[in-house]
Amino acid sequence: MRVFALALVLVVAATMVIGIAGLPPHGDPDGPVHTHVGARYLEQGVAETGLRNLVTAVLLVYRGFDTFLEVVVIFTALVAVLALPSATRQPPQSRDESAAASRRDTDDAVPVSPVVFLVVRLLAPFIAVFALASLYRGHVTPGGGFQSAAIIGAMMIALGLVFGREHAARLVPHGAKAWLQALGPLVFAVVALVGWRLTGAFLGFPADEAAHALREALVVILEVAIAVGGAVILAQLFMALDAPS
Amino acid sequence: MTLVGLDLDYVACVVLFCVGLYMLVAKSNLIKKVIGLNVMETAVFAFIVTSGMIEGGQEPIVVAGSAPPYTSPIPHAMVLTGIVVAVSVTAVALALIAQIHAHYGTIEVDELKELP
Repeated sequence: MRVFALALVLVVAATMVIGIAGLPPHGDPDGPVHTHVGARYLEQGVAETGLRNLVTAVLLVYRGFDTFLEVVVIFTALVAVLALPSATRQPPQSRDESAAASRRDTDDAVPVSPVVFLVVRLLAPFIAVFALASLYRGHVTPGGGFQSAAIIGAMMIALGLVFGREHAARLVPHGAKAWLQALGPLVFAVVALVGWRLTGAFLGFPADEAAHALREALVVILEVAIAVGGAVILAQLFMALDAPS
Repeated sequence: MTLVGLDLDYVACVVLFCVGLYMLVAKSNLIKKVIGLNVMETAVFAFIVTSGMIEGGQEPIVVAGSAPPYTSPIPHAMVLTGIVVAVSVTAVALALIAQIHAHYGTIEVDELKELP
């Protein structure tokens, strides 16, 4: 197996080295990545979308379908993970056994160090503020919905590791859990239909100057939905995987 | 910066990709295979992002005080999509591995092959 793997890696590496030798020079302003549609986005992006962060402009306005399906993909992953039977959702007859097994696991588990406990507890509010700042300032600094989702999700996972899953699960209101998990795809669909009603194109954004405030509101709604929905999905994925088996 | 005529950034991506590919193929532990897959994905993301860079470029955010040349925003947006897909694939793979462990008590491929 090892010989086969090495041979495969060498063949792939040789092919890729030949490939990169034929690429345009790195960082060349006249390369294809800077001269075709990318150049147009840079020239017209601010005027056409009203967004100063052009990565967000590409993500939400020019390539909105891509991003729509992206939030559907991560939601589908959550559905797939939750659909698998887990140790915490076992059939009734084996519940006693699994309860005993999980008790054993907790007895064997190494207790969380007080240093880690304190650091995570102290840092959590600052991490949350950082995530909000990344969302709020996302139009003029690198950041936005997905970045914010990753930061909030990481904070919830860290809290779950230190305080236990039950405590971290309380961060997401139980009644709203299912809606929050589906927030990204749902809000995207609503915004897409609103765009359809206003412009005649699915996921269209009103382009005229008078609708500037509406367009900005639609983008903000999308970003917040991506951040909240993404964070809840990341945390739920971790909680589902964390179940002892 | 170049290395025997090849751009060093691209060479680094190829090396990283090959490390991940070797892990994916040679390792028998399923978790290590998933880590190898993630290393490969990281190499691809780094390759796409670095291909959009420009000499002396700034991040593509048009505010007061920023000036062209800007790096291309398309690779950044595409990689953002790719990262989400990579996370989804990793989550589903880990969930399946947890199932395999619960059912068979092992996540080594060579031991799983021995099972009746």
